[in-house]
Amino acid sequence: MLDKIMKTQLFAWIDKRTGAEAIIKSQLTEYPAPKNLNYMWNFGSLALLVLVLQILTGIFLVMYYKPSAEATFGGFTVAFDSVERIMRDVNFGWLIRYMHAVGASMFFVVVYMHIGRGMYYGSFKAPRELLWIIGVVILLIMQGAAFFGYLLPWGQMSFWGATVITNLFGAIPVLGEYIGQVLVGGFAVGDPTLNRFFSLHYLFPLLLAAIVGGHVHALHVVHSNNPDGIDLHKPEEMIPFHPYYTIKDAFGVAFFLLFYCYIVFFNPQMGGYFIEVDNYVPANNLQTPAHIAPVWYLTPWYTILRSFESKLLGVAAMGASLGILFVLPFLCRSAVRSARFRPVYQIMVIMFFIDVIVLGYCGHSAPTATLKVVGQIATAYYFLFFLALPILPKFEKTKPVPEGI
Amino acid sequence: MKTTKFLMAMVAAVLMGFSSQAMASGGGAALEHAEVDMTDQEQIRRGLTVFTDVCMGCHSAKYITYRGLMAYPEIGLTREEVDELRGERSLMDGMISDLSIEDAVVSYGKAPPDLSLIVPGRRGGADYVYSLLIGYEHDHEGKVPDGNWNKVFPGNRIAMPDPLSWLDHEADEEAELRQQAHDVSAFLAFIGDPHQNTRRAIGCWVMGFLLLLTLVLWRLKVEVWKDVKKH
Repeated sequence: MLDKIMKTQLFAWIDKRTGAEAIIKSQLTEYPAPKNLNYMWNFGSLALLVLVLQILTGIFLVMYYKPSAEATFGGFTVAFDSVERIMRDVNFGWLIRYMHAVGASMFFVVVYMHIGRGMYYGSFKAPRELLWIIGVVILLIMQGAAFFGYLLPWGQMSFWGATVITNLFGAIPVLGEYIGQVLVGGFAVGDPTLNRFFSLHYLFPLLLAAIVGGHVHALHVVHSNNPDGIDLHKPEEMIPFHPYYTIKDAFGVAFFLLFYCYIVFFNPQMGGYFIEVDNYVPANNLQTPAHIAPVWYLTPWYTILRSFESKLLGVAAMGASLGILFVLPFLCRSAVRSARFRPVYQIMVIMFFIDVIVLGYCGHSAPTATLKVVGQIATAYYFLFFLALPILPKFEKTKPVPEGI
Repeated sequence: MKTTKFLMAMVAAVLMGFSSQAMASGGGAALEHAEVDMTDQEQIRRGLTVFTDVCMGCHSAKYITYRGLMAYPEIGLTREEVDELRGERSLMDGMISDLSIEDAVVSYGKAPPDLSLIVPGRRGGADYVYSLLIGYEHDHEGKVPDGNWNKVFPGNRIAMPDPLSWLDHEADEEAELRQQAHDVSAFLAFIGDPHQNTRRAIGCWVMGFLLLLTLVLWRLKVEVWKDVKKH
């Protein structure tokens, strides 16, 4: 169908003024992709899909949402009331809002899978270091956007989550308290915070959209890695992106939507993981919830924070745990990319994935003495994994890498 | 060796975490199952009656308007029935208790929470509401006055005095009281998310469509890829 469109006069007119034909050829119909990519390579397109869904549903939510912490009858606020109005009185408002709330969690599901794939198959290694680094920037902005967005319904967990996280800045010496106050817009989370976070929650996805453009551009310069992690040179090892990967991605999208829509329509709270129970209770600055925990996708880093007695050390460790991702391409010195041919790295990286899940579990649960120790062990392994990478090639015996695919 | 030990320690610790968490949720007794049916108009209407006759003495449900009682097919009251319920209030008004929050604080020491979102807003949902209503007992230590000791409420001491008069009920009243607790839990579960039935109904069509779409795209993918040689 695409080639039929490209033969029309209208297309010729556009092509003369934009160079559309060259772009379509170089980026789609003649863009070479390895023929052996497995289904783990679907999560990139899924992440793009969810980003678009989040931006679209967000635009419609903002048409009805009111960012104001002004009190209304019964201990509620204008912001909380406007969310309930969307859920109850706006036509299909419940659908848009559940899509957005579930979408936030699903965004992290697909992005974490995408990152995990990159780590397992060594996609971060030369020449794709910058592609990986741009990806880490995307992750940080996503986490920021999710954190800002979670304040907007002005429920108990919105309020207390924001209070806990913004108080962390106080631990940073000299400037910390000032940064915290600028972020909050006062001495405690309140109406100015809500307006600030709302503004930033609208800004960050726009940044994301732009940086994702950079991520895709960087990918199209260095091209996709593949499950064997080897450089491909022969033309018979490659297939054009369109139609092969467009149809494979389309199939992946439909398969993903099955899960996404099942949650949206039948279990939108996901047992308190996607929308926390406490967030159905309006924010009350006089009553701290029994147990404050961030949403599941931030809990691994929350555990790292809580694993240290000193608040400053905790904040530093949490920052380091994200910052160390930037230097992963330079820590990993092995000449072999894929974990398929690196037996020790394979065990280490799978344990790393389990470790992050354990960290997430610890951060989500009410703190106990046992969980604290588990969290500390998991935190230690998190850093140990990265710090062992530079010396790993010294004793790891890699398996022979295939010549081609 | 080291890794297996580490993994075993990890698993053991996580399991211990589970059990200690279950104990930490104490103060609240185990919840009983609330029999609620979101498609049973009779039950939701009976629950509405319990709500207006008992709960609304103190509690409000400000997100549920009198117009909503007509508009939601799950309740579907007639205009006459709604007019009788609302009295002088406007159709667009929420269901607000006649007891002012200030007076409630004076009488009970605490503002009665709005019940619009009580089911999604409590762990255990409808089961929690049901179990709370039939959870009143005499304080075994004799410290808390009768009607303020509840076996499921966190900390056991509750400001809401036994709304269904569950404490010391006669044996032949039990079935009726339990039914009232089931019904009002159903009503509260419904108003917590009043579009839930529409949502599930649409969801079935969406899932059906997506299953077909996935199937078609899967076959199409296989068809497009059939020329690509495996290595």
